[in-house]
Amino acid sequence: MVISSAFLRHGDGSFVAIFADTEKEVLINLTEQLIEILAERVDAVHTDPLAAMVNMTGHDSPPDDEVLARLLPNACADPVDSADFRRFTETELRSKKRSHALVVRSNLLNLEKSTVRLNEESAQAWLGALNDIRLALGVRLNVQEQSHEQLELLSPDDPMRGVYAVYTWLGWLQESLVQALMDDVDEDDSHEDEEGWEIDA
Amino acid sequence: MMVKTEEKADELTLPSFLIDRPWVTIVWDDPVNLMSYVTYVFVTVFGYSKERATELMLKVHNEGRAVVSSGSREEMERDVQRLHEFGLWATLSHDGDK
Repeated sequence: MVISSAFLRHGDGSFVAIFADTEKEVLINLTEQLIEILAERVDAVHTDPLAAMVNMTGHDSPPDDEVLARLLPNACADPVDSADFRRFTETELRSKKRSHALVVRSNLLNLEKSTVRLNEESAQAWLGALNDIRLALGVRLNVQEQSHEQLELLSPDDPMRGVYAVYTWLGWLQESLVQALMDDVDEDDSHEDEEGWEIDA
Repeated sequence: MMVKTEEKADELTLPSFLIDRPWVTIVWDDPVNLMSYVTYVFVTVFGYSKERATELMLKVHNEGRAVVSSGSREEMERDVQRLHEFGLWATLSHDGDK
């Protein structure tokens, strides 16, 4: 039996967390969904031969899917400026986010004794991927500023209850990683060991 | 009369009045992003001190948005791109109000 633990910064500068099998499986599954959703967009593909010649094949309209629209948001209030920005940047943004998720997936598939040990670079990738997964879950759960109380009160047979449990767990995990990374920014800011967590699944 | 002149001088020192730096990056409040994470992103992307980053994060949280950087259009495009990589909801604007 494994008792999971949140991320802690170790003396050698590594970031270490322990995952129970269920947690590992849930996170691998979500990471794979994220990788899939960030793959080449299939909606409203524009094939401009001139753009393709200069390797500029990005889209200029926001994605139809709400989750993807949150992960790849408009950059300006003006739709024309936004379209321009998107055409030049969306492909790179998508591939960066995808590469973060791939790091997490690969780390979890190669776990030794349930322990994830990250250097600073992979910790940053984890942070980005955890945040993207939470953003995606937040869209699906319709998380609003004041909606946490309602979500806490979901009935046990509501399928969203399990999703919300995972969303909360990932928030806890991400918070621990942020704090561990911030210790580097502010050495005086020491943190007590975080308490454990069990997924209700 | 004297007071009026001083007020005018004050206005002229505001960053938005400098002709060569008219663009700003705005971060909008989001119910999902953790407060500590947003602070961490401001430290990482802009090199702000933890205090300044926390101040900006609180401004986003309390007022719904905050101007987090200003500069040329190209610089702001880079900032917005970086903030999108981190999953923050950021836009660039040349009047600071859109």
